[in-house]
Amino acid sequence: MRVILGLTLRRSLRRTLLLGVALGTFLFLVGLSYASVDQNQIRSLVESLPPAIRAFVQGADLASPAGYLGSAFIHPITLALLATTAIAAGAASARDVEHGVAELLLSRPLRRIAWIGAELIAMEISLAIVTVLGSIGAFIAVGTIDDLGTVPSGSVAVTALAMFLLFSGIGAITALAASFSRTGARAIGMGAGVALIFYALDYLAQIWRLAEPFGPISLMHWYRPSNVLGTGSIPTSSWLVLIGVAVVASGLALLVTSRREVAP
Amino acid sequence: MPTLSGVNSTAAIHAQGLGKSYGSDVMALEDIDLEIAHGERIGFLGPNGAGKTTFIRLALGILSPTTGSVAINGHDLATDRMAALTDAGYVPGDLGLIRGVSGRRMLHALARLHPRPPVLRDHLLSALDLDEHTLGKRIRDYSTGMRQKLGLVAALQHDPAVIILDEPTSGLDPVMQARLLEVLEERARAGRTVFFSSHVLGEVDELCDRVAMVRDGRLLLVRDVAELRRARVRTVEVLFDGDVDPATYRVDGIADLRVDGHVHHFTLAGDPGLLLTRLGALSPRDVTIQAARLEDVFRALYLGDAD
Repeated sequence: MRVILGLTLRRSLRRTLLLGVALGTFLFLVGLSYASVDQNQIRSLVESLPPAIRAFVQGADLASPAGYLGSAFIHPITLALLATTAIAAGAASARDVEHGVAELLLSRPLRRIAWIGAELIAMEISLAIVTVLGSIGAFIAVGTIDDLGTVPSGSVAVTALAMFLLFSGIGAITALAASFSRTGARAIGMGAGVALIFYALDYLAQIWRLAEPFGPISLMHWYRPSNVLGTGSIPTSSWLVLIGVAVVASGLALLVTSRREVAP
Repeated sequence: MPTLSGVNSTAAIHAQGLGKSYGSDVMALEDIDLEIAHGERIGFLGPNGAGKTTFIRLALGILSPTTGSVAINGHDLATDRMAALTDAGYVPGDLGLIRGVSGRRMLHALARLHPRPPVLRDHLLSALDLDEHTLGKRIRDYSTGMRQKLGLVAALQHDPAVIILDEPTSGLDPVMQARLLEVLEERARAGRTVFFSSHVLGEVDELCDRVAMVRDGRLLLVRDVAELRRARVRTVEVLFDGDVDPATYRVDGIADLRVDGHVHHFTLAGDPGLLLTRLGALSPRDVTIQAARLEDVFRALYLGDAD
């Protein structure tokens, strides 16, 4: 398993580091920009916005340090960088089948469960690298910008953990989709589709009463970075859902992939 | 259905009733019985889509059979896949190397997946002209031939008892093709089993003891190469000084006779000894017997069976 893990990590290392540095830079810049805003002005601006616009930041109080920094954790750029990491890594098994890598590896005395297990672990490690590099940007912002000083570093770490868990779930769902796919593109398409549906459902549930009961179906519903930054903790229900989805989807991906045919 | 007698469960490769279908109407391979002895060199022939690659993938557990079973060195792929693959070395037809890593890293990684050490690596790298500089490059920068050579080294480096190659010479230049055949000949002399599919009948002719031919997912025949050679139809052209009646040299096996002035053209099946004796008595000015090729037998068998 370690051999496959090493190979998988090595081939995606450059992409992972680039995404991590990009995320760190973005979170730092968002933090930096807080110093230039007038809190009262931004509060009145946000209150004047229609709910459909405020829903993009999950109704967070952008005037507060936690709400402002939390909005960076749910910004489309942040979501896109992490979704790219999770979906690309989650689709690896389908790509390997498509390009004959799985055939080459599994014609050696290598258990299928070890192969797919290594790819899932590599996905988690890649996500962890991007999350940690991203968090460094947020930590630097909190540590160096006076106006953000009220946000504890521990809260930033817990928020980063919630973000990691959210995208572990999305990556695991992509891995499950990959276990049914013959091509990497199809798996990536399914993973991206699920991520977009989650985003849209969470957004609609906030602004449309009819859609509200369906909100919890979306993984995004269980990810509220501004709240986590403010309270310093992840609600138990969010823990359970985010970890549960990642574990169940990973388990199913392991099961299905270990039984599938791996010829290109 | 050609079946070999004396089925031995510890044969190098042993397929019994092996079949693979996709859905209810696509039969990729049907009821294959094939036994390959240790140390044998066997060529697996057939046109595109005949089922060669499907058979190989079933033999390595990449695909699961719909019917029957297959074993390597007595280890059934369905129940003892790890032991079976420990004894095998395989180069796929569509070689899927990881393009973002160096050749050296790929080679090391594939070696580490085997319990046996890569005892032949240096010898193979030298035989196939893969130097340190090339190994240091990323695989995405390799030519098709370089990738194929790397795949061959990766498959053979741990000196597998059963070598399974799916069109191994594709992408190699003629010099490297010859080197590869030398390497395979050497492994066969060391007692290893060599099983390879090919479109190039010349290399099968050069290397193999036996050939197995498949078409439309069925095994057409399994036969010794020597036996096929004996059965080959030769093309003969004889130039006489004057008019000669073909009846004066006619022997069994002559067909398609055509007389064009003093030149007689015909085909001959079987031993040419008696014909040469009779022609000698007629003092021809020139005799050309075209070396029969395995291709001719191959075509004749396919066309004959199709008819």
